[in-house]
Amino acid sequence: MAGTETKEAPAKTRTEILISGFGGQGVIRMGQILGLCAINQGHRVTMLKSHGTETRGGYVRAQLVISPEYVDSPVVENADVFVAFSAPAYKRFHELCRGKILYDPEMVEEVRSDVPGRHVEVPATALAKERLGNVLFANMIMLGALTRLAGMDFEAMKRAMLAVIPRFHEENLKALDLGYQLDAVARRA
Amino acid sequence: MAIIQTGVSEKLVAPWAEWAERYREGRRLLEAGTYALTEGAIAAGCRVFAGYPITPATDIAEYMSKRLPQVGGYYMQAEDELAGMHMCAGASLGGLKAMTATSGPGYTLMHDAYGWAITNEIPLVVVDAMRVGPISGITGAPGQGEFYVARYCSHGGNIETIVLSPNSVQESFWLTIDAFNLAERFRTVVTILTDQVISDMFEDLFLPRDYAELGGIVVPRRHNLTMPFYPLNSDAIDVPPNIVGKGTGICVSAYTHTEEGYDIEAMEAQWAQTYRLVNKIRHHREEILRYEAVGLEDAEVIAVAYGAASRTVKTGVLEARRRGVKAGFLRLISLWPFADELFERDARYLVCELNYDGQLVREVMRAAPDKRKVHFMGKSGELHTVAEVATALEGVARRGSIPELPYIWTEVR
Amino acid sequence: MNKLAQKYLRPSQIPTKACHGCGIGMIENWLLQAIDELGFKQEDVIFGTGIGCVGRQTFATWGGDNFGATHGRALAVATGLKIAQPDKKYLIVVGDGDAAAIGTSHLIHAARRNLGVTVICEDNMGYESTGGQFSPTTPAGYVTNSSPYGMAEPSFDPCDVVKAAGATFVAETTATQWHQTVKIVKKALQNDGFSFVHVRFPCNENFGAYALGTRDTLKNLEWIWEHTQGRTVDGKETDFTWETGIKHDASNSRPEFSKILRDMNERVRTKMTEKGSGDGGH
Repeated sequence: MAGTETKEAPAKTRTEILISGFGGQGVIRMGQILGLCAINQGHRVTMLKSHGTETRGGYVRAQLVISPEYVDSPVVENADVFVAFSAPAYKRFHELCRGKILYDPEMVEEVRSDVPGRHVEVPATALAKERLGNVLFANMIMLGALTRLAGMDFEAMKRAMLAVIPRFHEENLKALDLGYQLDAVARRA
Repeated sequence: MAIIQTGVSEKLVAPWAEWAERYREGRRLLEAGTYALTEGAIAAGCRVFAGYPITPATDIAEYMSKRLPQVGGYYMQAEDELAGMHMCAGASLGGLKAMTATSGPGYTLMHDAYGWAITNEIPLVVVDAMRVGPISGITGAPGQGEFYVARYCSHGGNIETIVLSPNSVQESFWLTIDAFNLAERFRTVVTILTDQVISDMFEDLFLPRDYAELGGIVVPRRHNLTMPFYPLNSDAIDVPPNIVGKGTGICVSAYTHTEEGYDIEAMEAQWAQTYRLVNKIRHHREEILRYEAVGLEDAEVIAVAYGAASRTVKTGVLEARRRGVKAGFLRLISLWPFADELFERDARYLVCELNYDGQLVREVMRAAPDKRKVHFMGKSGELHTVAEVATALEGVARRGSIPELPYIWTEVR
Repeated sequence: MNKLAQKYLRPSQIPTKACHGCGIGMIENWLLQAIDELGFKQEDVIFGTGIGCVGRQTFATWGGDNFGATHGRALAVATGLKIAQPDKKYLIVVGDGDAAAIGTSHLIHAARRNLGVTVICEDNMGYESTGGQFSPTTPAGYVTNSSPYGMAEPSFDPCDVVKAAGATFVAETTATQWHQTVKIVKKALQNDGFSFVHVRFPCNENFGAYALGTRDTLKNLEWIWEHTQGRTVDGKETDFTWETGIKHDASNSRPEFSKILRDMNERVRTKMTEKGSGDGGH
């Protein structure tokens, strides 16, 4: 049959990102933008999404794996980055992460004290309310912060956001920028 | 960053290994398996979808309802799955390529139509996005419970079936085109057994620029306008499908038939019909065999899986090799007819599947030289972890058994 | 073989395997008369059947294209076929089991969609090919092989069901009413939408023998005739009456199902062309 081939597989490098929060916080959207941005830069991406049966208020998780090569296991077992949008999500998944944990202090009030260096506080919900008048933009503030921390191309991330989100482009761009410019984040990047 | 050094041979035996090389102009997206599968159907020339909503196949119906009118096709929402598959069979008899999609609870309702479509040699594609069962089970959790049901999808015996299973979003696109091609060439129902993970997960997806350029790989619908409508005692493939509505005098029915399609109660006719339905597939197994293999040359223990389970199992095999285990990986893409020829090596086999009762493992036990060297690693409702697979491979390679692991079942008998 | 049979039927499949005195062959002749009077040719009509006496005896008798569906699903198959072959006339000849029991949901939804087919429900008031069990159209109280103490369930009228579901032509007739039946079938075939014709006929071997106590064709026909009149031949009131004739005629009053889908496609594609993305790609 045509298509039979044998090749040497190259070394594989994968980055695992875990995002979790309540339904309605835009967790999956955030993952979609992040994933598309990576694809546009030539990477391979998987994203598992899992949630309860509730449309809003339930638990939502996005597991992303980004790699220059085809990703075999799409399961995040050792996250390089963990974004916690809710206290239950933080409690459930923080042990899966051995890298940076971005958390929203309005949602996650208590974090483990033994690894302060790995925790980055991103007041996304508070900023979204204060500066943009709507908590719905918190996810884009968080994405801006993540872009800075992970050293990703900010312009590429903006383009991916515009491609994924159909409306409120001006506000979302502003939110991305707010997160990207946060002092606390810039210092850790 | 986790770095896994592999340096191991990989082999994909499937037509799309070559198709992917041929078509390089197009778009790269982040999309779900259901989206890719729908686009594969549209690209293959599917123009009718009739089905009933059910998680996790509903997105296929929704995408179809949007896409089909754009390409001059028809979306129908049936009153139940029985109607859905019969509508598809009717549309295909009328000359249009058709598909339906469902999950376990709807799949079992389709068996009535399955037998009818298979016996009357009607090309169709049926998608079953498996979730954990029995019955409704948990709608958002993957399962692999229809391995045998897809083989024995009709009562009465005397049939062979073609069943394929993708394990990625990209493969869902190419494999669906392939499924339509096989349906046309073999004049039968081809089942795509996918699952909740591969349906719902997002992954990078390449879509060729213009489906009109896929003419080189898509088998078009042809029409048989002359007798015999049902070549008896023949294993020929690439026979054009029959069409109702062109005044050929074709007869299509639920009964044992003559070459014309008349109902007949004679054993000679029964045997001749069975010869055709079984042997058109059995005698052309090499046209259907599709699989992926990693590191089989030196493997002492071979992990076997399909669909979503194969994703973590493959990484587990690579991890085990890193730990010094001579492990190999075998992913079945064509599930039926069962690829006995892939299990001739006297190695140990670790069969990983998403159920506790053990289904695929029974076929491997039958096909392998020594069934005592076939080990079962069942998990229910969620994927095996890489760590679990690597640990089990180590155990089988070094001690001939799987160490006790929580939530893993190993008993088959 | 008569002239109409010669013109339309398949010589190798005639005569049918029906029992002596069965009404199925006679009703099929009447259908041919209606088809002939409307000027249809063999290739204009697709003939679909189900399972049971009516399915088995009529399948493959039609000289043109035929299908015999699984039990109850003839209308589901016809729905798909009509989409692919919209210009054909569809004669779906089924029994009371197909239409009023195992396939009722398809009947209801085909009526709701106004699918362009004519359903001829040839009703022998029970499952006769399996030896005479009661069906949803067996009159309540009558004795059959599965109701030895009289049928305990109430029966229903499939005409009421399809009318409520939206059928655009509904009529009831019997094997005792030749001219009325031909007239009704002609009207049904001229409706570009869902037509339902309910035709009762006698089964001598089972329903006749067990419910009415006779295998005499004429006596069984007479029993049906009496129940269309509400009076027995000797002037007594019958236990119930079947109202026959056209029960609902809204022929060609609303769009046919396959046309609705074609029109929608047209709208979608016109919009795409206006936007400049009308190709078959994505």
